[in-house]
Amino acid sequence: MSTSLMTIHLKIWRQKNAEDKGGFHDYTLDNVNEHMSFLEMLDVLNEKLIMEGIDPVEFDYDCREGICGSCNLVINGRAHGPKHKTAACQLHMRNYNDGDTIVIEPPRAAAFPVIKDLVVDRSAFDRIIEAGGYVSVNTGQAPEANLIPVKKKVADEAFDYATCIGCGACVAACPNSSASLFTGAKLAHLNSLPQGQTEREERTLAMVEQMEKEGFGDCSNFAECEAVCPVGISISAIAQMRRDYMKALV
Amino acid sequence: MPNLLQAATSQVGRKFLTGLTGVFLVLFIIFHLGGNLAIFGEPDAMNRYSMTLHELGPLLWFARIGLLAVFLIHAWIGISIWIKKKKARPNKYEVYSSKGGPSKQSLSSRSMAFTGIVLLIFVILHVNTFALGDTGTVMIDGKETHDIKTLVIDTFQNSAGYAFGYAFVMLLLGTHLGHGIWSAFTSLGMKSKKLSAAMYTIGGILAVVFAVGFLFIPLYIYFGGGCEAALIQCQ
Amino acid sequence: MKLDSKVPSGPLEEKWSKHLQDIKLVAPNNKRKHNVIVVGTGLAGASAAASLAELGYNVKTFCIQDSARRAHSIAAQGGINAAKNYQNDGDSVWRLFYDTIKGGDYRSREANVYRLAQNSNNIIDQAVAQGVPFGRDYGGLLDNRSFGGAQVSRTFYSRGQTGQQLLLGAYQAMMRQVHKGKIQNFPRQEMLDLVVVDGKARGIITRDLVNGTVQKWEADAVVLCTGGYGNVFYLSTNAKNSNVTAAWRCHKRGAAFANPCYVQIHPTCIPVSGDYQSKLTLMSESLRNDGRVWVPRKKGDKRHPNDIPEDERYYYLEERYPSFGNLVPRDVASRNAKMVTDEGLGVGETGKAVYLDFRDAIKRDGKEAIEARYGNLFDMYQNITDDNPYEVPMRIFPAVHYTMGGLWVDYNLMSNIPGLFVAGEANFSDHGANRLGASALMQGLSDGYFIIPYTVGNYIAGEDLQKVDTDHEAFNEAAKASQDQLDRLLNVKGDKSLIEFHRELGKIMWDKVGISRSKEGLESAIEEIRELREDFWNNVRVPGESNYYNKYLEFAARIADFFELAELMALDALQREESCGCHLREEYQTEEGEALRNDEDYSYVAAWEFLGVNGKLETKLHKEDLEFDFVELKQRSYK
Repeated sequence: MSTSLMTIHLKIWRQKNAEDKGGFHDYTLDNVNEHMSFLEMLDVLNEKLIMEGIDPVEFDYDCREGICGSCNLVINGRAHGPKHKTAACQLHMRNYNDGDTIVIEPPRAAAFPVIKDLVVDRSAFDRIIEAGGYVSVNTGQAPEANLIPVKKKVADEAFDYATCIGCGACVAACPNSSASLFTGAKLAHLNSLPQGQTEREERTLAMVEQMEKEGFGDCSNFAECEAVCPVGISISAIAQMRRDYMKALV
Repeated sequence: MPNLLQAATSQVGRKFLTGLTGVFLVLFIIFHLGGNLAIFGEPDAMNRYSMTLHELGPLLWFARIGLLAVFLIHAWIGISIWIKKKKARPNKYEVYSSKGGPSKQSLSSRSMAFTGIVLLIFVILHVNTFALGDTGTVMIDGKETHDIKTLVIDTFQNSAGYAFGYAFVMLLLGTHLGHGIWSAFTSLGMKSKKLSAAMYTIGGILAVVFAVGFLFIPLYIYFGGGCEAALIQCQ
Repeated sequence: MKLDSKVPSGPLEEKWSKHLQDIKLVAPNNKRKHNVIVVGTGLAGASAAASLAELGYNVKTFCIQDSARRAHSIAAQGGINAAKNYQNDGDSVWRLFYDTIKGGDYRSREANVYRLAQNSNNIIDQAVAQGVPFGRDYGGLLDNRSFGGAQVSRTFYSRGQTGQQLLLGAYQAMMRQVHKGKIQNFPRQEMLDLVVVDGKARGIITRDLVNGTVQKWEADAVVLCTGGYGNVFYLSTNAKNSNVTAAWRCHKRGAAFANPCYVQIHPTCIPVSGDYQSKLTLMSESLRNDGRVWVPRKKGDKRHPNDIPEDERYYYLEERYPSFGNLVPRDVASRNAKMVTDEGLGVGETGKAVYLDFRDAIKRDGKEAIEARYGNLFDMYQNITDDNPYEVPMRIFPAVHYTMGGLWVDYNLMSNIPGLFVAGEANFSDHGANRLGASALMQGLSDGYFIIPYTVGNYIAGEDLQKVDTDHEAFNEAAKASQDQLDRLLNVKGDKSLIEFHRELGKIMWDKVGISRSKEGLESAIEEIRELREDFWNNVRVPGESNYYNKYLEFAARIADFFELAELMALDALQREESCGCHLREEYQTEEGEALRNDEDYSYVAAWEFLGVNGKLETKLHKEDLEFDFVELKQRSYK
């Protein structure tokens, strides 16, 4: 295993708080190891900035294994960077070359206001779930699990939608800043299972309404959301949401 | 009724309506293209077609009003989506690019609003030129009817601006439909990945067919010299 | 300090049901008069919050992440155990109980573990009703797999994302209560202190991580579900923000910390590639079902692994443990990996790795079969290391994964501070000295859905809880102490980075309080920790200010607590002069090099009382004796 070291130029969005106008700052980082993850590269940058007496770049992260959905950087204009089905924390510097300039921005959407630098407030997603993204069953009310058989195909498909990590890359990448893939995925998960049938209509109407209230844009079927989704959720979820929504209205 | 109102005003409902009206408009385009191609038929085929339509009487008006409504709904929703998009992302990206793969971002999809608005203006002018334009009359089966064919030939033969302008707009129509046909079905709930992939190809082919079908006529008339052209028989 | 486990009397099978009959209830119209604070929104926290709110309590939830859905429970891959016996392979509540208590090397309470096994089935029912998409067979019924060497198939799973799906189920149940107004949810808020009034937990101090303000919150009971402390090792499979601060601050307010030295080290992680490394990634141990673990027989053999002939490969697990081979338990596999690398047989650039080879499995079953089984893991491995495991053996190394120790709790999951409940990984209760695979999710949800809602009610009904105002001096004192500590950290203005300190602490812990421990090593670790802690408070550089979003300040406060916890872990490991579960003392091994338990002298829970930090950690050991009335203590053997 040979390791190559690179010099990377970074152009990073810095913004003190929600009110600040914000702007880009340029940094250069030497000796970037190709085996570093993208976020580790930013850690190293921050170490350097701290020693120089500059406030480090704030960005969201937690699990660093692509499942928590915290990280949400827009890297050279692409949510989570160039690789498909890969969250920014699972992106490695070997995808870049010596001397490259990388532009890093926060996801930009009215519904995701900036908190600081690259950190944004995604609580709009929580409120969409709050509006109806659940099956109403209290603790203790559940029947014996195998009394609810679910066709394997249905269960597998529901899982494909349930695997959404809530990172918001779909919103970041959508030219319209639509949250249709996020909302559609949760609806498609619950609406396709027998457990979700009782509340299917109310759930669909409520979540769609909340999605709009939060200020996300309309869906124009660009399918960019599917391209950037770190778990590869299909826009079939959105089509399903439309079916369910129209059925709920009729 | 409140349900329908909700359907018309909500995000998902709006998109569904765009798809629905889009499908109607595609059907109309097929119908319209059929009518246009009558120009290459028997000398009186095109005018006969026009006469048949006119003989529908109130039904024609019903169709016209319906078509207008469908068209306006489609345009209105399209424009409102475009306006909302600016509101949903007040600060633009410094750098933005598509990730490719399953993405359907293309010249076609990114220019829907632009091509749509151009088509809206075009349709107003187009209706003014042909549907409301001064035509002479012609006798078919002993009945006097509009001589639409002569108007079409005169218009395109005598004006490079009309001929090329039309042809250009038809390229935009093709561009609009390249994404639009597939998108309409997706908006109506087309879920199957296989069907979706097939429809994207079919939509693209249809878009090319429609664009070529429509733009061929003005250019052929202009370059072919109207009634002199080989494929056009005049009375 | 008095430690009363409050385990009910009577036969094992009836303890919990009898306890439920005796439990005091709060009348429905009174429940809404009581505030309960839940800190942390992982499996335990989200499920407890949802269930308490469903009952009618006013619940406030706090989490450090930007959304309750991101708690680290989300990263659990393998599955969740339950004694459903759907496979008809002879499983039962007793067997799950027995496996768990034996797996924990007889260092947990029988009654707690039995209750866990009893609740396991309810968890599956609850999760399925919520719409958690568990794996199913073609008949539409739930599928199970055997996990972690269990002899029955009792593990329910959602592909490799069981933790995510269970957490989303609990999170959604919680958000439903937010919608109903029964839960107020406060993300991006970190608990910095526990407020104790008249000896009872009556609230917490938090810092709003967005605007930096220190805030005071009052309640009748506090439920702490803040996870484990594996990040004391700097590198672990825990999420970057996982920390001990909330639990440690409770400890400093009087809550006993139990068995801090019990740390589970997972054998199949992707090895460290350099100093910049920020965390370790776990790969499911199911890989050991087909992969063969080996190192070269020759020291410093730098040949490409595929060029090393069969007779020069040392399949050390297969040779040392012929009957279990590569499927020995986690602690045995981890310890052996460390042993061979310590002998200089390690592979890779750092020499801190062993091979996990699928060559023979691919030859036997075909590449497609292996791909079907492990495709996503292989992809993940290749994405991180840039090596193709279908062609080159994987390199793996153990990594800190789970901490069995935690705040001491009684049978009601209440700490020795009345009103402070602790659930999930944050408490010490059910796993003893070692946790079985697919049991963490089970414990978190058993605590949250099926224990806390009853026992919190029992406490509230039995106490005369007068209203406390957040202007009470206890709140003001705690809030001031929290702010003072942040200011103190910011004012050091030293010239060494936080992360460097954390990395150095982690190295001491890994080398001397990690996979194997010795008296000598632990004593020197304690000295080194004290010195480094002193240096930390004199030389650390924390950037920025406390009145805005400042992640490095959050880290600074957490690392400060890790420095104190680290010493307690070493002290705990030092006093436990036996080997048990994950705790291997080099002096206490069988002739064959296996862990040697001392049930005579060490069959107790070590619960530590905090007395102060003054250069060294002042602490006092209390012992809760473990009694085994229902199982016979046996020495583990995997030969």
